[in-house]
Formats: sequence, C-alpha cells, structure tokens
Amino acid sequence: MSTTPELGAAAPRSRAELQDLLRATTGPIRLVGGGSRQHRLPDPADALRVRLDGLASLDRLDGPDQTCSVDCGLPRSELDAALAPLGLELPCPGQGTLGGLFAADPIGAATSDGPSPRTLLLGAEAVLADGTPFRSGARVVKSVAGFDVHKLVVGSVGRLFVVTRLHLRLKPRPRAEQWFENGGLALSEALALVQRLRQLATGVLALQLERDSDGRCSVRGRIGGRAAFVRELVRAQGLAASACTWRDQAITGPHDEVLAMQVLPSQLPALLAAVPATPTLLWHGGNRCELVLAGSNHSDAVLAVLPSLSLGARIVGGPPERRGRSTPADAATTRLTRDLASTLDPNGRFV
Amino acid sequence: MLRDLAMATIESQLVGALGAARVLTSADALLAWECDGFTVHRSRPRAVVLPESTAEVRAVVRLLADAGVPFVPRGAGTCLSGGPTAGPDAVVIDLARMRTVLHVSTEDLYAVVQPGVVNLDLTHAVHRHGLHYAPDPSSQSVCTIGGNLAENSGGPHCFKYGMTVDHVLGALVVLPDGELLRLGGPAGPRGPGELDLLGVFCGSEGTFGIATEITVRLCRDQDGVRTLLGSFASMPAACRTVSDIVAAGLVPAALEILDQATIRAVEASVYRAGYPEDAAAVLLVELDGPHDVLAEEAAEVRSFFARHGALRVEEATDPAERKRLWKGRKGAFGAMGRLNTDLYVLDGVVPRTRLEEALAGIAAIGSKHGVVMTNVFHAGDGNLHPNISYDGRDAQQTARTIAAGHEILQLCVDLGGSISGEHGIGTEKLDHVRMMYDEDDLAVMQRVRTAFNKRGLCNPGKVLPSRGACAEVAKWPQMVARVLDPEPRR
Repeated sequence: MSTTPELGAAAPRSRAELQDLLRATTGPIRLVGGGSRQHRLPDPADALRVRLDGLASLDRLDGPDQTCSVDCGLPRSELDAALAPLGLELPCPGQGTLGGLFAADPIGAATSDGPSPRTLLLGAEAVLADGTPFRSGARVVKSVAGFDVHKLVVGSVGRLFVVTRLHLRLKPRPRAEQWFENGGLALSEALALVQRLRQLATGVLALQLERDSDGRCSVRGRIGGRAAFVRELVRAQGLAASACTWRDQAITGPHDEVLAMQVLPSQLPALLAAVPATPTLLWHGGNRCELVLAGSNHSDAVLAVLPSLSLGARIVGGPPERRGRSTPADAATTRLTRDLASTLDPNGRFV
Repeated sequence: MLRDLAMATIESQLVGALGAARVLTSADALLAWECDGFTVHRSRPRAVVLPESTAEVRAVVRLLADAGVPFVPRGAGTCLSGGPTAGPDAVVIDLARMRTVLHVSTEDLYAVVQPGVVNLDLTHAVHRHGLHYAPDPSSQSVCTIGGNLAENSGGPHCFKYGMTVDHVLGALVVLPDGELLRLGGPAGPRGPGELDLLGVFCGSEGTFGIATEITVRLCRDQDGVRTLLGSFASMPAACRTVSDIVAAGLVPAALEILDQATIRAVEASVYRAGYPEDAAAVLLVELDGPHDVLAEEAAEVRSFFARHGALRVEEATDPAERKRLWKGRKGAFGAMGRLNTDLYVLDGVVPRTRLEEALAGIAAIGSKHGVVMTNVFHAGDGNLHPNISYDGRDAQQTARTIAAGHEILQLCVDLGGSISGEHGIGTEKLDHVRMMYDEDDLAVMQRVRTAFNKRGLCNPGKVLPSRGACAEVAKWPQMVARVLDPEPRR
C-alpha cells in the first residue's frame, strides 16, 4: 500500500489492502475517489483520507450483453474510451472516478426519463468499516434477488461503506447526435422550450437550463437517434446546433455558496421569485438544480423560505463549515438515515 | 387459550377501527388469501383487514405492532413467489380498496396513486392525455401499483423502459411501527445529500413498510408502434436474431420468445393468435418511436429475421393485428393451464449472450426430472420463465417439479445470472438465495431490513432465509419438505 504522509492519506491498491487498512485502523476515515468533489463535502477535519483511485481496473466489459464491472477508482474517462469502439456509453452525466460519481450522484439524470446512476447500478461489491466484504445485486440487467443494498451507495458520499466494484448497465450510443444551445432567452422563453422538449416522447438525451446573474437564460442539450430524425428534430424545435457546452456544476465565485435541490421546471418561477437578488441557476433535465448565492445571508434566507414552497435544499458549495446545512428533513427520514448509518458503520468511521 | 383471548381482543379493536365488514376472520372468507400465484405454498392468515386510507393503514399497523402481531401487506395477490402469503398468526392488510388515482400532472408527467390502483387502470386513466405508465407485468390488468412497487415488477416492455424502480418517483410509507415516511416526490426519488431510500424500499417485497401513496412517472405515448413476429425452425436461431438486433444498437420496446410447447398450448386455447405451430420458436419484436424511424428499424429487424432463416414473418399494420400478435404472448400463462392442474412459473436471469446455453440446459433438466416444460421469456433482458405444468395433488410430481426448478435456478447463477428477474424471492426462493449470496452478504441485508422493520413484524419469513436454515445450504429437499408439509407443527 502506498501512503502519502504529508496529506494524511492512504492509498490501497487492492480490495485486500483496503480490508487490511480498515481492520488495522480505528479512527475516522474520509473516502476519496479522484478528489474532484471534496470541495463540495463537509470538512473531514483530521480523518484519514483513503484514496481509492488505486483500485482502477476495468474488470469486465461484455459488449454484447451491454454490461460491465469496474473498480471504484477507475476514471470515467477511461471507461468512456473503452466503450466508444463498441458503440456503447454510460448514459449519465458526470466525471471523476466511477465510485465517486455513483457515491456522490451530483447530477442525477440528464432528462426527466433518462438513466441515472441509481438506475444504471446493477450490483456492487463492497466493504464495511470493519473490513467485512459483501455483495449486493447482480451483473445482469435484471435481478430482484435479495434487498438492493447497493442502491444505498448512490448519494451516500461514502458514509455507509466502501464500494470497491460496480456492476453497470450500458446503452448503445445513438447512431447520430447533435448538441445544441439556445442562448439569450428570458426565463419564460427558456422554460417554454424546456417544457416543449420534455413533452417529446423520444430523442432528447440531455437537457439543461442555465440562468446567469443578469437573468438571461440558455437551454442546452443533446438530441440523439437516426440522422434524419435528429436533423428534423433540431429544425422543428428551432434548436441552435453547437458543440457540447454541458456543465456538470454551476460556475461560482470565491464567496459564493451553492444550494443543491430537486425542483420541477414548473416550480422554477416561484423559486426565483422567492429568492433575494438574482442568483445564477443551473437546472439539469432530471430536475437536479444548483442555485448560486452571494454569501451565507442569502443562503440562509433561501433555506428558510424553501419549505413554504414544498422544496428542500442543501448547501454543497461554500466555506467547509457551511457545507451540508439543509432545510429540515422529514423526521422519519432522519431517523432511518441515522439507523442505517449506525447499523452499517456502527462506530461512525466514515465521515 | 390466552393467545386466543388476546387475538379476540385485537380483532375487536380492528373492527372498532374499520368496521366489521372490513375485518374478515371466518375460515371460508380467508380462503381467497391463502396463497398468491405461487400456489405451491398455501397458508391461511389469522385475519384480513381492508383499509381504505393512509390513516386506516396506520391505525391498523399501530394496533398490530403494539400487540406484537405480524402483518402482511397485499395487493391483488398476483405475485408468483409467495411474497404476500401470510403465516397462520399473521394479519393480511389488503390494499385493494385503496384504488384512487389521486393526482395527474400532464405538464410535469407524473401521477400520484393509491397502492391498490390496478396497473392497466392507471394507463387507461391517462390515455386521453397521450400518456401511459410504462411497466407492464403480464398480470397488468389485475396487479396493483403497490404490489409492483413491493416486487419491483418488470414486464415485456422493461427492456427499453426499465423496471418499476425506474418509474417510481416517490412514496408515502407507513413504517412497521406506524411512523409515516415520505420518500422522494414528483421532482425525483432522491434529493441532494440524501440516501436512495426509495431505491432500496422498491423491491423489498413488503418487508420494509407499506406504501399508501405512490408517485409514478408517466411516459408520453410514442407516435407509432410496429410489431413483428418471426417464426424459426430452431430456438438458437431465434436467440441469435435477438443478439443481432441488440448488437446493431436497436432498442426495441419488447423482445419476447415463445418456444414450441408454448405456441402449441396457446394455439389450443382461447388465446389462439395464429402462431405457426410447426415453428420451434417465435420471436415477437415491438418497435416504437417516430413513424419515419419505425420504417427503417422494421426493415432492419426483417433483415435480421432473414439472416437467421425465419420461416415466416408477420407485421402488424393496425391495432387489431398488433393485439392479435400480443394475444398469444399475454395469454401464454393462462394457456398453460390446459396442460395440467398446476403451473410452476419459474423466473431466472442469464446474460443475454448465454440464452442458448441456458435453454439447452433447461431442456436437459426437464428431461432428467421427467417434467412437462415450456418456455416463454423476455429475451432482450435474458429473463427466462421456464414453466412446469404438474398435478399439485401428486406429491411426487410436485417434488420433481421443485427439484427441477432448483436446478434451473442454479444453472442461471452458474451462467452469471440471477435467481429472480422480476418475481422476487418471497417464500419460493428462500432456499435458493444462498446460490447468489454468502452469509456476509445476507447479514448486511438483514441489517438493512432491521433498520426499517425493527421487530420483524412486517411480512416476516420472506426474502432472507432464517439462520436456522444455514446448515442446509442450497438444498432443495428443504423446499420439497415444505411443500409436503406446508404448515409444520410448532
């Protein structure tokens, strides 16, 4: 096992090394994939950073079956490179290591009916905080055998257990595709375009609405299918063909705070009307949204007003001590989340 | 005696909560709840209650939890693995009367329904808006959305559209202690920073709680549908056609295969669809999408049919023809009722690329045990449904049926697959779970179940084998013993 003492980090290179590490240590642990999302998590203080990017094999790629098994530390870009010659893709947005992407699930789906990490994860191999290995799910595209414990990794940001291997569903790449961006729109125009595209039965593979601090909006996305169909859809919907301009995260300044939430496009006008000043907003087609606010006063004001709109949010960007603050959660959800954490990680080692 | 007195008190309290007409306790009345579609396992519950609202479900659950009485939620009882079959001490909470579509949003494409809403009724309710609910189990005209959620049901069209978990956005759940839990909502199943509780709840077979309101995604109807039926002289030819269609990047809405025995059963039944009885297999391919695209895709499918020597190809050109082509597939399980008094519908999954191997193995297992076997399956997903027709009154036939079933599931696992693609574990596969999972895996699943269902009162004895059975690892005789003595004396 390699270690980097100056960072207080350990970097196991196999599941066995990871198990040994977990058994040999007792203190708090922060799991780190490639590290690209650490700035969006609460400060781990003096926890031992365990880097998982040493577990980086593409264990199995079954093109005809459209499934694969990957180690948690494999960069998504490497999987994409392996899939491209086979005409396949992992059809959800997001970068970084695959373990990190699935554990954080920062974006969800790219459209309201599109695949997301939770729907693409078929099964997993994992390790509990005490070093005990376990499996859940399967490698095939359908399985309802046993409880889907692996689903709990999605959004857990490494709080429950370490997923060391993921079994993933893949999809064929469309025969033709076109990215588009329609910019300079008023919010009402942008929402009308979004709603029109959401009502289509097929063809929209990614959708995003971004509103800048001047209140102007862009709608961008990806159309896929047969070449003639793609051309016609672009024409019929008045889409402006472009290179890919998709953003995984909202652009932020040094003093900004970022609130993440789930919100329907029909709820966006009420949300923006209730927010002080003019925030930058990035809404993804699966209804995940990031609101960029100028400092803690604005964030706190928004967190206070959201329950009246039946919305919830969490601070994911800003000073470390502010990250993780959120609107009040349902009491049963809080209790259940706590109970799951305490049963799977009884000593609360994963922070 | 004391136990009977306690139960009488509880029944009286249940009557107080729901009224006498919605609390059933007589032996005759309980007969309809003694099994689900897995008729091998029968057990009459202590009582059945029929709540009509979340508040009533909650009241019943609290009452039973306080008294330490186990309870079992149930939809239409179409499950095929014994999931909603209750033990003799348990009370069934039947949700069939909670059948209201509470809200439909055509703008945001979702509906909120009570759990007893029948799957197909939801599609009928939104049809006029050009919408439908995509998961379509074969029992969709009877099965309920609540049951679908509990089992994470699939169906022919889940190859393209996904399983129930992919279409459920939220749920209001009465936990086994009576607490109310709200999971997800119209905007999505999981908020930022939250665990995917809805993901693990879906498919938990009614052991984690009772969903009393369910928010589901609605899909926009496609412009058009093309349904093609190819008949083949051999099963491998049909399977290879499926492989080629998928390898070409086509994503049909459905890819279904019926073997010759199934075709003949269908053609001899009221579900007769005009399938060629001399074919070794028929492959039903359904394409949906924009009209122009459909024409190109149908031509491609026809070329794959030709490449693999299809004996005959039919294409539905109107809704009546489409209905006819589907009639045999949808009615296949019913048609098999002609073959014997009982039908054991198996459910296993293999990688799609190993279908041929799996089917050859299944045939060999059938021969070995001398059972009458038919196959109808979701070829696109590698989800097999070998069916064994037998006489359940004959203990030897039953035992051979179960033995063959056990070996088929082991074959699926050996080929890299799963013991269940859509029917669940229930009681049927308690003895098969260890084919896929070891003790560490099961212990983690048990911990998760305990977090939801602390006292184990909600649908006990399902999904996970008891520790007491550990010594008999993967031994089918346990199952046979349970069949021959379904309610062992305690």
